[in-house]
Amino acid sequence: MKKSIISLAFLFALGLLSFGQVTDPLISNCVINAGANARYLKDFRIQLGKATNQSELRYKANMSLWKNTKYRFTMCNADNSKGQLILSIKDESNKQILSSLDKKTGKIYPYIDFECQKSGLYQINYDFNNGQQGSGVGVVSMIK
Amino acid sequence: MTERIFILLIIVFIGFSCRNSKSKAAEFVFPQSDSVPVSEAEKLSPEAIADISKNISSPVEIANLLQTLQVPFSQNYLAESIDANKQSTNFDKALKLGILGADLGYLNMYEKTGSSLDVLSSIRKISEDIKVGQFFDFESIKRLSKNRSNLDSLLFISIDSYNKIDTYLRSNDRGQLSALMIIGVWIEGQFLATQVANKFPDKMLIDRIGEQKIILNDLLLLISPYCNRDPEFTSLCKDMQDIKEKYRDIRITYTQGEPVSVEKDGGLTIKQTETSVVTMSKEQLNGVIEITKNIRDRLILNN
Repeated sequence: MKKSIISLAFLFALGLLSFGQVTDPLISNCVINAGANARYLKDFRIQLGKATNQSELRYKANMSLWKNTKYRFTMCNADNSKGQLILSIKDESNKQILSSLDKKTGKIYPYIDFECQKSGLYQINYDFNNGQQGSGVGVVSMIK
Repeated sequence: MTERIFILLIIVFIGFSCRNSKSKAAEFVFPQSDSVPVSEAEKLSPEAIADISKNISSPVEIANLLQTLQVPFSQNYLAESIDANKQSTNFDKALKLGILGADLGYLNMYEKTGSSLDVLSSIRKISEDIKVGQFFDFESIKRLSKNRSNLDSLLFISIDSYNKIDTYLRSNDRGQLSALMIIGVWIEGQFLATQVANKFPDKMLIDRIGEQKIILNDLLLLISPYCNRDPEFTSLCKDMQDIKEKYRDIRITYTQGEPVSVEKDGGLTIKQTETSVVTMSKEQLNGVIEITKNIRDRLILNN
């Protein structure tokens, strides 16, 4: 048991050292969380106050996604975040392609793998569940 | 009566035509005008410009595709003629910073750490010259380059450094240098893809080259405000327009479908069933390969 804890602590320290002087540890930890089979592409740092209107996800960005590529979208929350980060992706015709929030069950998925078959510009939308105040990071990776 | 049947037939015919046109594949087309008006580009907000710069695909994606296709690494694709000490203008420096960044991504993906240290020292010199060296974590990148087990960390720090430079330049009224850097990354990635496709004409790679039509307009939008700034910019804008012209008749169509989702290991997997289809003749591909090579070779010789 003691050995396992020491090993874990060593691995964690190694991970931190590997990321050297990165300013935001939330991003680097989230990159690690994306998994060993994921290769980092982009990150989105999201900090939002409480929403007055919850009709749409508030943080919006565009990103080109390419056919025959498997992407992983990983969501990580800061310790002090009241809400949990959620993601939805829409295509150019504003059609929703995916959401990390299952509205029927209320379940929030920590990551989504997306097998892209249509190259194009996509709208990446983030918010915190129920429009709560929150701080988090969304990491986009490719799966090997 | 005959008249009524005739009208009814016309209505039914129109009805079918509309339904058919809905199920037909949609097509990606360039906006109407041949070039992006400067006034339109100038109206872009800093957020919109930041968005466009994030849109442009990473060279790592191209390198990843080459690895998936088991294309062997080739040193010949690299911009080795770039001498960091011979870049006289900020235009040259920013453009080369982008080109070298794409080469660094390619080298890192293939774990060619020896060569990546050479590219890295050029990047260091150029980035210090344009006063953005502080955003490049050279020591960490160097250390990680020597240790092959840290590829993911290496990719992260390299891409993150470029993102920081891009953000800094845009927020300090040096957006023209940021645009050049992004164009440089794209041209080198495009050069890499087209050169490989010339040698290994794989359908997936050729399609990816054709799909670049989707982001070409954004690249033009990014550079348009600076096209009349000086002769160097004017020439680069013309180059980008020439590339766009080669893409004009390449078709990208879309087929419809609903995404399929599967829950697995606590996460969600979404498989898209809509598809994009590229229609590009051999002549069109050759035209893109040729113009990309001509422009890129001229840019890297411009020391």
